[in-house]
Amino acid sequence: MKRSDRITAVVILVAAALVIVSWIVMHRTPGTVAVVRVDGKVVATVDLTSHDPQTLHVTGVLGPLVIVADGKGSIRVTESTCLDQICVHTVPARSPGDQVICVPNRMVITIEAKGNRIDAVAQ
Amino acid sequence: MRKAIALIVALIVVGAGLATFFAWRASPEPVTSTYFLMDTVLTVKTTGGDAATINEHLHALASNVDSMTSYYKSGSETVRVNAAAGRAPVSVSPEYAALLKAAVAVETIDHGRTFDIAISPISSLWGFTTKDFRVPSAKEISDTLAYSHADQLVLSDTTVQIRDSRARIDLGGIAKGYALDVMEEYLHTVKPQPRQVIVDFGGNLLLYSGGQKTDWKIGIRDPRGQGIIGYVQSGDAFVATSGDYERYFERDGKRYCHIIDPSTGYPGTLNQSATVITDMQPMHGAIGDALGKVFFCSTAETQRSLFQAVQSQGTVGIVIIDAAGARSTLGPITFVPATAQ
Repeated sequence: MKRSDRITAVVILVAAALVIVSWIVMHRTPGTVAVVRVDGKVVATVDLTSHDPQTLHVTGVLGPLVIVADGKGSIRVTESTCLDQICVHTVPARSPGDQVICVPNRMVITIEAKGNRIDAVAQ
Repeated sequence: MRKAIALIVALIVVGAGLATFFAWRASPEPVTSTYFLMDTVLTVKTTGGDAATINEHLHALASNVDSMTSYYKSGSETVRVNAAAGRAPVSVSPEYAALLKAAVAVETIDHGRTFDIAISPISSLWGFTTKDFRVPSAKEISDTLAYSHADQLVLSDTTVQIRDSRARIDLGGIAKGYALDVMEEYLHTVKPQPRQVIVDFGGNLLLYSGGQKTDWKIGIRDPRGQGIIGYVQSGDAFVATSGDYERYFERDGKRYCHIIDPSTGYPGTLNQSATVITDMQPMHGAIGDALGKVFFCSTAETQRSLFQAVQSQGTVGIVIIDAAGARSTLGPITFVPATAQ
């Protein structure tokens, strides 16, 4: 192999590495995350890929809420001070786009994932 | 020769690498804002442009629509019109008159059998306006149904009159879609243009990219669980869904949803959900919202014949999940099931 061939080979390798690194940075998917917001502000984020069950105590506009991530990828509201209890009866959220909402407490749990192929969910 | 080819390949690879890197660097992060109004959540996700300002402005526009159309808020045009029921005509804003006209235009598609803004006395009977739910007697329903119809309305360009003193109008079935219309109108004029904006207003969507994007992926919610059953692809559009899972109550193991079938006075039971995709023309957000109720309260046969009528008026496609959970689509849209992803 000539010297110039070797240089070309190195250039190709470096360039290929650059492409791969850029691609990974652009497309990395940091697992599925539940974002808890009260009145529009993020008060907690929970990694739903974690196997440890977690209980969150969040203060809504009306009063306290208890949120439980079961360690199996689902998150739900177990207790709320609201009158209608719609949030407590909502099916646990687990897929990107899922929501659990408590309007009286102005609390929303949204499931987000960077690699999600869906832009929005009609519901 | 070999060297030349190798050099060209190297240049292409380097170029592609740099292009990928800079494309990543240049793509702005979306700004997501969440607001609470109209008894639901408004989420705005804007990428590019003056995103934070755009989000705030979109919220302000939605608030204006709420103040104008609310069934509850004192001073709203709806409250003023309802308060004068059985008496004199009430003068309203041109915007409000235009919205009522659009609502009545949808009613005429099927003679008010599946969508009616004057059905609210029946909704009240079921407790949907107060959340104090109950199953009314058949007689209560038939008595109330007698005056719960849009033929109680007398419309002009500047006034609205309700003939019967017991009749009421409620624009809850069209106001969120109308708010998306107002937002879309603003987005077209804003400078600098955002790259894309996704507005989710209680599950009704506005997908805006100034016509740049043709492959929005719109997830269709599983009506009997969380998650999606699949998605459809579309260009910029309004998307409205009527589902029996949003607001409902159960008595003796039976589900009663908040969407009342105006032809019976009972909650609709023919379908679990209907999703209507409309193109970005003026008032198509409001019309799509109303059409969601129309298709939700229709049989499969009626849906097919109605689709012929609405397709020429900007309806791109419809996804329906019937009472048995079977899915069907109307129009030139392709549904991709979640299992195929």
